[in-house]
Order: sequence, then structure tokens, then C-alpha cells
Amino acid sequence: MLMLRVRFHGRGGQGAKVASRVLGTAAFLEGYYAQDFPLYGAERRGAPIAAFTRIADEPIMERGVISEPDVVIVMDKTLLRDHQAKPLSGLKKGGVIFINTPQSPEEARAEYTIAGQIITLDLTKICLDILQRTVISSLAGAVAAKIVGLSEASLKAAVEKVISEIVTDSVILEKNIEAALYCFHAIPAVELKTTEAVQMESRVFTMPFEPAAISSPALNTTGTTVLRKTGNWRVFRPVWDYDACNKCQICVARCPEGCILVNEEGFPYVDYENCKGCLICVEECPAKTLGKEREVHAKADSEEVIG
Amino acid sequence: MKKEMLTGNAAAAWGVRLAEVDYIPAFPVTPQTEIIETLARWIADGDMASRFVTMDSEHSMITAAGAASATGVRAFTATSSQGLLYGFEMLYAVAGWRVPLVMVNVSRGLSAPITLETDHNDVLAARDSGFLQIHCETCQEVLDSILMAYRLVEDERVLLPIIVNMDGFYLSFTREPVEVPNLERVRNFLPPYQPKHAFFKASQPMAQSVTALGGSLYSYFKYQMHLGSQKALEVYKEVCVEFEKEFGRHYDTIEGYMLDDADYVLVMTNSFSTLGKAAVKRARARGIKAGLLRLRLLRPFPAENIQRALTGKRAVAVIDQNISVGKGGILHSDVASCLCNEKQRPLLFSFIGGLGGKNISPGEFEFIFTELIKAVAGEAVEPSQLLYTEEEWQEMVRLKRIAGKE
Repeated sequence: MLMLRVRFHGRGGQGAKVASRVLGTAAFLEGYYAQDFPLYGAERRGAPIAAFTRIADEPIMERGVISEPDVVIVMDKTLLRDHQAKPLSGLKKGGVIFINTPQSPEEARAEYTIAGQIITLDLTKICLDILQRTVISSLAGAVAAKIVGLSEASLKAAVEKVISEIVTDSVILEKNIEAALYCFHAIPAVELKTTEAVQMESRVFTMPFEPAAISSPALNTTGTTVLRKTGNWRVFRPVWDYDACNKCQICVARCPEGCILVNEEGFPYVDYENCKGCLICVEECPAKTLGKEREVHAKADSEEVIG
Repeated sequence: MKKEMLTGNAAAAWGVRLAEVDYIPAFPVTPQTEIIETLARWIADGDMASRFVTMDSEHSMITAAGAASATGVRAFTATSSQGLLYGFEMLYAVAGWRVPLVMVNVSRGLSAPITLETDHNDVLAARDSGFLQIHCETCQEVLDSILMAYRLVEDERVLLPIIVNMDGFYLSFTREPVEVPNLERVRNFLPPYQPKHAFFKASQPMAQSVTALGGSLYSYFKYQMHLGSQKALEVYKEVCVEFEKEFGRHYDTIEGYMLDDADYVLVMTNSFSTLGKAAVKRARARGIKAGLLRLRLLRPFPAENIQRALTGKRAVAVIDQNISVGKGGILHSDVASCLCNEKQRPLLFSFIGGLGGKNISPGEFEFIFTELIKAVAGEAVEPSQLLYTEEEWQEMVRLKRIAGKE
């Protein structure tokens, strides 16, 4: 019996849910039983989300989250250091990790001390080059399809079906197919060496009583939000040209996060640990002295308190 | 018949489209919104000839849907969780009007604390209202149940509204293969709604739902609703046969899985039943005579079917994906009530599982079967309990530390 479980980790707006559908549809069109499913909280562009695809040759008797995937697709490498997303948790021995990064597999292995098979490709760059956007759903679906061994024809048909349900613009659809096929061929075929997981036995018990002082859903501490470094949500970072900046402070006023500050000389600067890269400041700068740069370096969440 | 990958929400929208509904008042709420978005798009594109109206609240929405139903048109609406509770008083009113409205509820746990994930406290809060209830395990079943629901409640012997329920996320956003039936075949099974009893029209004035001061009058109307709901059990059987004749799929009031020769039985509802079935398969592989009973039609309560299915079993665990705070599992009480006079009644356990979408792990199912076996060997039947794994508890300890709760 064949049963493959693929888990996608992305940020809201990157297209993890649609990626899981591209893979699910490709498997379904190839004659397999398929199931796909996203999981996210209240919609927040940039926040970590996960999506799941199951592929089998008989009816699927599972539902919900995949805790022991055969394949993990990491669509944003900053999630590797995210204490809530934990993209590598439960990956089966012999499984495959795909990371969207300009790094080589060896560089990624060294930086994140990852065991297991690693495949890397800079999906975001390919997507910017072909589609001029950063929604990498078709591309991530394509690398997943290649890793699980589905055919190019199934992938192409799946991208056509899934993307045409979302966009009506035929140019965008064509470019999605082009980008997907490019990625499909850009990575090597791999062998999945996973076996059916033996469930880790965990102690099960009846939940005990705790008084309301502990068990009410209230926070007794302040400043817990600083534990979440939302700077990792960025694809682009705003950059100031102080030679041209006239210190009008409009960027400071317009920043929805309140994370643009003013230095001693009166120039604006941003707290990159929390800037989400919405680029409203770039849009609003009357002198057009603010530019944007592609973000390629992950910032670690603070290592204390969480984890 | 061709299948395609559809979410539970898309399957629901297809059911409504194929039922050729006339009127859809709507109000968005996660995780139901995709249903009304899909219908709105089809209506805008000219694929559906229904009238779609966005309302100011679920209270107005349920009122409008019930009122439209009372004019003799086929109406549909959908809600979830907080939305269902916001329109709650109108559930009782619309049921009292004796109109055949079909409503989908996408189950989601109730605040506080707030969540988006699934359990059944929302839909079970409505269990006494007079609305019938069908609970679904798969996306296919959602589509099929909507068609069956119209056929059932538009029957002159029933004329009560109905809720078709599916789990948020676990079904509403989960895609799996679904067969979309051909419209001509749906028309064979579900003819247009042509009410013969009194209903609003300009040429025939009437008053609906008049005041009934005096207990004996009020009792008459309420008890007739109850008898109408009970009558729906008989009508449901006919609808079930007709549906199978047309589409080849069989949906009884309950579903047994490896049940006939089982000694140890899980009782579950909705999409988590799939996890229960997998657990039964694993238990069978270990030599335990396990089985599962899935409750599908919850109102009217198919007491006789459940009695027949569970009498003679050694031990039964009702896994309630809900909690009546201060009592425990809601369905456990319902199941107990139809077994208590049976001489051959099984030992009956109550577990709370899947609250707010919490996974039920293989280890938890194993724990449950072990408890059942131990009880049959003479150990005590524990009171209602919610199971937790060591990892889940450790995560809670960590979060409590961050929250300053030490």
C-alpha cells in the first residue's frame, strides 16, 4: 500500500494552501486517492501557515494535520527558526526536506544543522523573474510533485485546473505553468526511503483540575508580543537614501506597526526585527527616496523564553 | 460519473445549486464563508437563477430564510458557531412556523476562548429547537445530504426545518474526491417544491405563528412539532431508499463499521469518525473485536436503530466532540437513555475528544479500548473524561509559563 504525506510550511500570502491543492490535484489526475487541507489562524498575511497533502492508492482513512510527514516543503526558510511553525518536526527517517533558498543543500545543512535529504531552489527569485510576484504556490506544488514522483503531464494539468479556478488572466496562468515546469525540471529526482511510521507511544491521561487563577484564558504578563519577531514576514525590506531624504517624517506617521523611529539627526530608521515589509512607507514617501531590497537573510527569533 | 476534488464547502454549494434553490440570505462567518462566496459567484455568473441577499446579521438572515420558506419558495442559508448563536432565538421561531428550510452549519468551537477549529457545541446547542439534524463524515455526504434534506423536510408529513452539519477545516476546507450528480437525476429525486398547506400569497391572506396563550394550546403546537419530527424517521427511511435507487449511495440514520460481530464499540459523529474507523482497523489487527457506530441523523433521534446496534455489545465508549459544562458529553446521555431499559445493555463509557479540533491520537484510541476491556473484566467504569497526551500537557505547561501562570 502506498501512502505519502506532504506538509507545506509557508507564510500567509505565499500560497501554501494552493500549493497543497496543486499537488493533491496532480495526484488525483494521476489516478491516486488524494486529500488536501490547510490550517491557519485568523488571516494574517506573513504569518506562518501550514497545508497538507495525502496521496494513497486506496481510500484515505486519515484527517487533519500531518504530524509525521514523508516530505516537508519549506516555502520560507525563516520558518526553520520559528518556534511555533517547527517545519521539521516529526519528519520521518529517510524523508525529504525542500527549502526555498538561494543556498546550496550543503550550505543549508550546515546553517540549520539538518539531517536527512535536502533539496534547495530559490523559488522566490524564479517567481519574481517569471511572474513579477512572490506568490509561489505553483512552484512549490511543482517541486513537491517532482519529489513524490508524479509526472510532468499531471503537474501541468493540475496547475491549469487549480490556478484557473483562482485567476481569469490567461497570461498569469501561462506564466504559472512556465514557472512550475521550470522548477519541476530544475530539481533532481529523489528516492523517498521512508517506511510506514511506528507511532511514538505517548502517555495518555485524564486532564486534572487546575484552579481558575491558572486555568482562565488570561495573560498575567506584559510584552509577550515582542517574543514574536515579525521581521521574518518580509520578502522586501524598505531602505532609506539619507542623501535625498528631507526628514518630512511621513513614513514615520504612515507605518502601521509604529516601528519607524527617528535618529538623533532627525532621519527615519526602521526596527528591522519587527518591520513586516508591507512597504507602505515606500509607497507614501513624497520624495521617492525610499527603496526596497529583496530580503534573503533569516533573522532568528530570540532564543530566550520561547522554546 | 466523474469525480473531482472538492472541499466540504464547495460540495455544500453544489448541493444547493443542484437543488435549484430560489432564495439565499447570507452573512459571512469563518469557516462557512466559502459556501456563500461560491453561490454568490455562480449567481453573478448566471450559472444559478437564485436570489442572493446579504443581510445585516445571522438573526435577520435566519428570519429572512424562514419567512421566504413560508411563502412557498425553496430557501437555503448557512452559518457557523458564533453566528448560529447570534441567530438562536429565530431557530425556535422558524421551526415553530413549520417551514422546510435547509441550513448548513459548519461546526466550530464556541468562545471563550475563541477558536476557529471544530467541535459540536454550536450545532448541538440547537438540538431542542425543532430543526432536524444530519451530521456528515465526508464531503460527498455533505452534497448528498443537502439533496436528501430538501426531500425529507418538504414532505407533507414533516414540514420542519433542518440543519446539515459538517466540521470546520476538517471537512469545510478539506478537498477529497466528490461525485457531482447530474442535474436531470437530481430533478428525478427532488421535484420542485409545491406546498399544498397554507402559505403566504397575496390572493390568500393568512396569519402565521399566532399567539397561543394558555398551556393546553401551546402544548398542542409544540408536541405536534415533536410528533412531526418523530414521523420524519419513517419518511427518512423512504428518502434513503429513493436516494440509493437514483444515485447508488446508501445513507441510513446510523452507520456501522465492523460492527456486527464487535464486542467493543466506539460511538462517534462527523469527520472524526474517519479517525475512529482507522483505530478500529488497528485494534482488529491486534485481535480486539472492535467496531464503530457513527450517528448521522441526530434529530429526530433514531433510538430504535441505536438500541438494535448496541444491545448485546460488551462495552461502548461514546466519544463526544462537545462538552455540556457541568455534565460532560451530550450524546452519551442520549445513547444511555435508549439503552437503560435493555437487559443486554453494554457497559457505557463517556469520553470527550476532539474539542476545538484537538486531534484524537492513536494512543488515545488505544487507551479507550483498554479501558473498555478492563471494565468488562470487572474494573470500575470511570466517569466522563477528556484525554490528554504527555506532549500536549508539556506544551500547555510551557504556554502557562509564558502567560505568567505559575
